[in-house]
Amino acid sequence: MAKHYAMVIQLKKCLGCQACTVACKFENKVPDGQYRTKSPAIGPSGTYPNVKVFFEKQACQMCQDAPCVKVCPTTASHYNKDGLVLIDSHKCVGCKYCMTACPYDARFINKNTGTADKCTFCYDTRLTKGEKPACVTTCVGGALLFGDANDPQSEVARYMATHRTEVRKAQFGTRPSVHYDYEGVK
Amino acid sequence: MQRRQFLKGALYGTGGTLVALSGLGAATAALNPRRAAAAAPVSRKTVYSSCEMCRNQCPIAVKVENGKVVKIDGNPNDSAFGGVICARGNSGPSLLYDPERIKKPMIRTGERGSGKFKEVSWDEAYTYIAQKLKAVQEQYGGEAVAQTSHIGPYDVFFQTIGKAIGSPNLFSHEATCPMARIIGLNTTFGTAAINADYANTKYLLVVGRNFFEGIHVAQTRAVAKALSQGTKMVVLDPRFSVLAAKGEWLPVKGATDLAFIMALANVLIDEKLYDEEFIKQYTVGFDKWAAQVQDKTPAWAAEETGISQDTIIRVARELAQAKPHSLIEYGWRTTFTADDFQLRRAIMIVNMMLGNFEVPGGYYQVKDAGTLKKVPAMAAYAKKLGPVKVPPFPKPKKGRIDGTGEKGTPRQLTPIADGAVGQITETILTGKPYPIKAWLVHRFNPVMSIGDTEKTLAAIKKLDLLVTCDVYMSDTAYNSDVVLPECTYLERTEQVFDMSGLTPKYVLRQQAVDPVYADTKPAWQIYKELGEKMGYGQYFPYKDIDDYVERQLAPTGISRKVFAEKGLWTPAGMKPFYVRSGDAKAPLTLLATKSKKIEIFSDAVQEATGAGVPVYVPYPQPGEGEFRLIEGKVAVHTNVGTHNVPVLHELMSENTLWINAQSAAKLGIKTGDTLIISAGKYEHKGTANVTEGIRPDTVFCYHGFGQISPQLTRAFGKGINDNKLIPDQLGSVGNSITSMTFVKVRKA
Ligand code: SF4
Ligand code: SF4
Ligand code: SF4
Ligand code: SF4
Repeated sequence: MAKHYAMVIQLKKCLGCQACTVACKFENKVPDGQYRTKSPAIGPSGTYPNVKVFFEKQACQMCQDAPCVKVCPTTASHYNKDGLVLIDSHKCVGCKYCMTACPYDARFINKNTGTADKCTFCYDTRLTKGEKPACVTTCVGGALLFGDANDPQSEVARYMATHRTEVRKAQFGTRPSVHYDYEGVK
Repeated sequence: MQRRQFLKGALYGTGGTLVALSGLGAATAALNPRRAAAAAPVSRKTVYSSCEMCRNQCPIAVKVENGKVVKIDGNPNDSAFGGVICARGNSGPSLLYDPERIKKPMIRTGERGSGKFKEVSWDEAYTYIAQKLKAVQEQYGGEAVAQTSHIGPYDVFFQTIGKAIGSPNLFSHEATCPMARIIGLNTTFGTAAINADYANTKYLLVVGRNFFEGIHVAQTRAVAKALSQGTKMVVLDPRFSVLAAKGEWLPVKGATDLAFIMALANVLIDEKLYDEEFIKQYTVGFDKWAAQVQDKTPAWAAEETGISQDTIIRVARELAQAKPHSLIEYGWRTTFTADDFQLRRAIMIVNMMLGNFEVPGGYYQVKDAGTLKKVPAMAAYAKKLGPVKVPPFPKPKKGRIDGTGEKGTPRQLTPIADGAVGQITETILTGKPYPIKAWLVHRFNPVMSIGDTEKTLAAIKKLDLLVTCDVYMSDTAYNSDVVLPECTYLERTEQVFDMSGLTPKYVLRQQAVDPVYADTKPAWQIYKELGEKMGYGQYFPYKDIDDYVERQLAPTGISRKVFAEKGLWTPAGMKPFYVRSGDAKAPLTLLATKSKKIEIFSDAVQEATGAGVPVYVPYPQPGEGEFRLIEGKVAVHTNVGTHNVPVLHELMSENTLWINAQSAAKLGIKTGDTLIISAGKYEHKGTANVTEGIRPDTVFCYHGFGQISPQLTRAFGKGINDNKLIPDQLGSVGNSITSMTFVKVRKA
């Protein structure tokens, strides 16, 4: 069966420590001032002393119905053989259509290459070598799960079978592969 | 434009201003242009080493491509770390390739603090230092030379200089951080090598520590693991820290934590919930403690702490219910009050009332080779690292300037290896008890770390010699006479570290790449060469660091190859060892106290302070219109050492002043407003972060910002230097006091 890589983010466990943010920068040689991922604070909300805050790791959601792919005039943005949305930088002309189309603000023009860039699930550098993405590997809070959702034995499949997870901005019908578990933070 | 909105996402508690686009070429990209990847052939290796982006020395796996560090991962061979490192650890290459590192030895040419230096050869620098030190020694005696470092593997080399000179005035930074805890443990257990088994605890009460922003990867992960297994966590903190967000937040009134702890003891005794058997078998002096807490009722503590009586009683019962797998955390930076060490003792005493010693989820004595020797069945698992013998040092002619070690005074309890570092500036300025004329500083930044920045600067002006060795032109380096460039941890090998926990563990920092700047050197080499120049070669009998490591490993039978292949050594087949896990009555033969008991009443503390069990001392609270200023760590920076590292600076370049929403409303303050923070003598500008996450009588900022060295071009002048506002005040045992500063705040 085809693979369907997916990530599960347990927000309760995320510390907002940004280890993922920095790991991603070096793994993927992301230029200064640019990021494929970040984990900003949501909050604090409430009134002293009943306060809440949580952190939400944000990056490309690896949509299975991806607006960025649809609008790309050169097919630079495409689904690869494992169903991941990737960018062929040789084909990218930097037109930014995809950036406008992406409901998750996940893309940017890489200052060094002049082409569109975003999270790849570390496909070339790690997944193809059987390693998990850099952010998942370094996650200090243990908040990130990663694997093949089509394999019922995988950590992500088992987690999603037993927990309520959500996708962000479901109303856009993009069918993301990044799933959020908000239990304990909302 | 709303695109890339998420990239603007703020870190916690910054008032939404962060993510500065530094645009400095050093972070990642300039070094590794994507196009270069196409160039064949690539040589790749992984070097196992140990991180030094903070003091914790986490084991790392350094990926090197064509002689360049491209990525750092956690060392997957260490199960306590599971391949994880923090944001700072991940940013190592950004420091390594930073063009703002200091690259050559330098001697000052302009006024002190003018920033005018000339580059010199190492030999010139050594000669200059040696001559100046000799002059000070001849005129004032060896004791006029003080040495301070943060504390680390360099100390054995660095401090050899001062010991050879015959100075007693060697200081670590500990008095500004964990020293009160060290003393609390020393006086109760006879050793400070007591760790907590966070991962297996069922109930965790944290007193002001912040595992999720002051990150210690192994401990942070252990706490996270416990929480994910359903452990309940209660956090006493005047501020809503990230840790507090993951548990039950009790916004305790500053400087009253001891009242809370004593009331817990009161409830445990009153309701007979403590472990009487444990207390009987293993401790001395419980009756004196019981008498001391008899009137420390929850009702009384509620008045003191601002936490309700019901909550205090409930927490005491919950701790008791989960005992012995419940624990009260003993603290990291323990500089809250003048008598902070008594708070740490009290915490450990209540822990012992829970019987949580040498059981899973409690406290345990570190199982290093030396400790295991006392347990015959375990002794074979590990052998001690070899000593590297040096001839005896001359005996200092005078006592220390800070009174450390003086019998019958609280300073009798101060560890001789640490001392009261905050005393140095006072002594330089007053000449009392005798002059300090030369100061050697290694990887420490007294201008930003010893309370009262201006006072430290004034003291520096009176010196005959100030030498600083660092990787950056720190605020102290900038004001020095001689600046020595150390190479970074990725460019040096160091001696074997003992990182034992429930089992013995040795870790080796191994050089990953050649020095990026050819004229930087490792500490061991710098001080060996300086020592030789000064005629102290006999105290550096090893050829180089490899020779040193060989001497350490010789008696252990461990081959250096193990470290090349794995980065660390642990004994095969040894399980985590808790003395009492199988048998609750097992004798504690490894206890290090003279009495062989856990000393609830300590004769030494009695002799030193007259309070053999902790006694409650009420401290002043902020008056009308005042706030208690507290400060703390953020996950992306270390103390005052990383704010100029490109990638980390980019993530957080500035701090803000947290102020409670109601208090701010009264003063007409809104988030983003420029404020004047006034501590009487000094004022500092800062940006407001109005929040519900702090007590109305407290303000907070993250530490280490507002640096004053213009040669840290990124960090210079950005944010609040809390250290300018906090006075150089010392507690009973010489600990710095950092939570007793009251400030006024107004709009600029
Ligand atoms: S999140 Fe944005 S960039 Fe990623 S696949 Fe979806 S639309 Fe494309
Ligand atoms: S999966 Fe890889 S590319 Fe995506 S955010 Fe994580 S580290 Fe970055
Ligand atoms: S590393 Fe993990 S815990 Fe830290 S911010 Fe990223 S997702 Fe959250
Ligand atoms: S806690 Fe972070 S910075 Fe400190 S040694 Fe570990 S990985 Fe490095």
